[in-house]
Amino acid sequence: MASTEVDRQVRISKIAGRYLVFDIDDVAYIRRQHGICAVFTGTMPQNPTQNVFLGLPLELYAEDAKMLLDRKVAYIADDPLEHLTQLKSMDDEMRKSYLQSIKTQRRTAQLVFNEAKAQSMAKHKDKRKPKQPQPPVVVPTELPLPASSADDVAAAVDQEEGGAESLLGSSSSKPVKTDSSTPPQKPLVKEKLPAITPTTSNAMISNGTSNPDVENHTALPLYSYLNERGYFITPGLRFGGDFSVYPGDPFRYHAHYMANSYGWDEKIPMLDLVTSGRLGTAVKKSFLMGGQKPATENSEAGELRAFCIEWAGM
Amino acid sequence: MPLDDDLEDNPSLVPRPSTTTNNATGDAAAMMDEVEEAEDAPTADFRLFASTYSKTKNISAQTIRKGEKDFESHGTRAQASALDASRDAMRDVLSYTRVHNTKSASGWCRGWYFPDWWKDWPEDWEQQKLTKRGKEGGGEDDEEEKDRKLPPLHVRDRVVLLEHTNVASQSLGRAVTGLPKDRPARGREWLLPEEALYLVERGSLDLWWPTRGIEEVFPADGSVAAAAATTSAEGEGEQTKEEEDDDDKYKYGLPLSLQAAYALLIGEDGERGKVSLQKFQVFSHLKRAGYNVIRAPTNPLPVQDDTQLTTTTQPASKPKSVTEWLISCLPQSKSSPTDPPPYGPLVPPGFYRSYNTIYNYLSLRPSSCPTDDQPQKIQSPESDDSDSDFDSPYKIHYHVYKASTKFVRTRPPPPDFYISVISAKDTSIPTLSEISSLLASAPADLPKAEWLAGGPARLYARLKHGYRNVLLAVNDHGVINYMRFAEGGFAKEELFRNYDVRVSGGPRRGGRGGGGGGGGGKKSGNNNGRGSRGRGGGRGGGRGGRGGRGRGN
Repeated sequence: MASTEVDRQVRISKIAGRYLVFDIDDVAYIRRQHGICAVFTGTMPQNPTQNVFLGLPLELYAEDAKMLLDRKVAYIADDPLEHLTQLKSMDDEMRKSYLQSIKTQRRTAQLVFNEAKAQSMAKHKDKRKPKQPQPPVVVPTELPLPASSADDVAAAVDQEEGGAESLLGSSSSKPVKTDSSTPPQKPLVKEKLPAITPTTSNAMISNGTSNPDVENHTALPLYSYLNERGYFITPGLRFGGDFSVYPGDPFRYHAHYMANSYGWDEKIPMLDLVTSGRLGTAVKKSFLMGGQKPATENSEAGELRAFCIEWAGM
Repeated sequence: MPLDDDLEDNPSLVPRPSTTTNNATGDAAAMMDEVEEAEDAPTADFRLFASTYSKTKNISAQTIRKGEKDFESHGTRAQASALDASRDAMRDVLSYTRVHNTKSASGWCRGWYFPDWWKDWPEDWEQQKLTKRGKEGGGEDDEEEKDRKLPPLHVRDRVVLLEHTNVASQSLGRAVTGLPKDRPARGREWLLPEEALYLVERGSLDLWWPTRGIEEVFPADGSVAAAAATTSAEGEGEQTKEEEDDDDKYKYGLPLSLQAAYALLIGEDGERGKVSLQKFQVFSHLKRAGYNVIRAPTNPLPVQDDTQLTTTTQPASKPKSVTEWLISCLPQSKSSPTDPPPYGPLVPPGFYRSYNTIYNYLSLRPSSCPTDDQPQKIQSPESDDSDSDFDSPYKIHYHVYKASTKFVRTRPPPPDFYISVISAKDTSIPTLSEISSLLASAPADLPKAEWLAGGPARLYARLKHGYRNVLLAVNDHGVINYMRFAEGGFAKEELFRNYDVRVSGGPRRGGRGGGGGGGGGKKSGNNNGRGSRGRGGGRGGGRGGRGGRGRGN
């Protein structure tokens, strides 16, 4: 991993003014190396009827995107444009290679599928061992396996279909030893490869050809100030500020601050201060406010000041 | 009790059941717990998820308790390894590839992206057709009735053609009916962009990019060429060369990735055939939670108002005793003084037998009264500055149905909720014209009948529920909060009407309820000045309610 991470270029898809990351390796990389966790917004295909765990894509703040861009570890891609041009004018070679990659993934899916099947079959057999174990040859005849036995991964892989598939053919060859270039051992039932929806378009779209800019990153100074000091930042909507600021990866820590970014000479109503201060205290956080001194003729923009406010319960 | 006083000393904005009443510290602890719980949601540990869907990972849910977090980093290896475990679990879980089972035709749900098929289609085509047919058939009432209730199809926005349907897509998608026979893909269901993307994301739809025209993929004879190609390619013996296999199977198109689906289906607000990311996130959030969601009409149809305008809200309007009735028969000069005299006392000196008359003299400020105003009436000022309202983000975007509501997508019942999607960062709080036109576009949602009939005892229930309401879904980069905006009927709750009631309707606490209460306070002060026995007068504020009781003779 480490070797590939050195010159990794994160692809940030800009879709309708929003910044999304689709590649799980990119997500892991920016989380580990750049302290950006952002927000998962997608439905989890494994369990699509809950709102606690969400999956890809990851939605970045414009500030995140700008920061990664400035560090030269990412590029912004105009995804709709690139996809449309690629799809509309796909030459034979591109097409072939894209289909090849799809096919490989389908094979892999089939392999994983079979393996899981074999495992669950083995488990199933173990359970039934005390009773007269049936010879493996007979197994394929009882085709629709009860859904309960096709549990775990198979069920997860194959949720919609409720495990009512007839994949049993390969069960006789327990560990699938074939490598991915040859089809799995000749099954009793003619197998069809499952169709897949890849998560990313990496197979189709090679590299960013268009490089749109990042807009609307007004809070960037405070944002990168905090990020450089190792803080993780997530949207502040839950606690009523611009950002929630965590002292480390939110997997392990609670947020310590509720942050708002202000302009250097911006007048802040005292009431806002009291409101935010009280609100922050109520959720066991400090209210953090910061701003950056604007650039003048003889000095660059710099010197960011941040303050913490707590409700003094006198 | 959001109207209550207690809030002042409680900084928590979260209304919560007060389980520990007198114990302040216990209270605070409970509150903190709640906060921590809320905080867990965004950062929930994927190890937990992994353990719920796959037992093979050997992680049991007991070992990962919710909220097991550290205060800060102390550089120990244990901490680092726990973090690594969490990150690895995240990676494992999210590396999942969506797989569709092609074995059973019913399980594999394939959609084709045809963005321009309905581009120039008139939105009211179906409507026209039906009305025409209705006219030909002699204009049966039944038919006309149906016409009016047709839900909008958003035909022009429908871009994904479904090849099959499955369980997940059942409540989504609509077919355009009444098409000529020779039209390709006749009678098939089409998805809106958000529906298609939601299905792709949950792994229930295989989205394809067609490389041929719709006439070839879905010939007018009702067959599906692509499906036939796929099955025949699959069906031929194992000896089939892979190349041929591919050529046949992918003759009509290519499968798309999730990323491509986002790129094709997400767009700016108002773009045809696309949906904004914010709206999509709200849509899928609600769908995941089990609600049925349909897109609201873009031009809100005249709402069929099912308001039986209530007279019960004014319990004192009927005289309850003979004396009162007699008094009410007396000629009341200027009982509703819309035009107070330019000088002199507001209440002309005289002999008054009822508080109502006096208060009517005193009510100088006009206020809006929700149920009396028809939506059209509220909309009328909007038409003056229609161009500014056109840009207003405050519109009803989705109609939402509880899972328990019987839902037929072709004839949806009246929605349970009206949702407007708002961006947290780009939008200011609504202006008066924005909020009133937003509320006016939702039909009246009256408080429960027993509340309306409940008199002063159910005052707060009525005020809180309001007379029409819209939910705002505030979206901050994927984090969504829902807020309910309701039109409260303070003007309908005229507290002074109770003063004339001989037996007051039970002890009532002060009318802190904003406008109505404030007015009451002022008036009871005046009352006191006149030497009446109103005990409430001295207490000012909302205690006006007591005044009536003190007077009881």
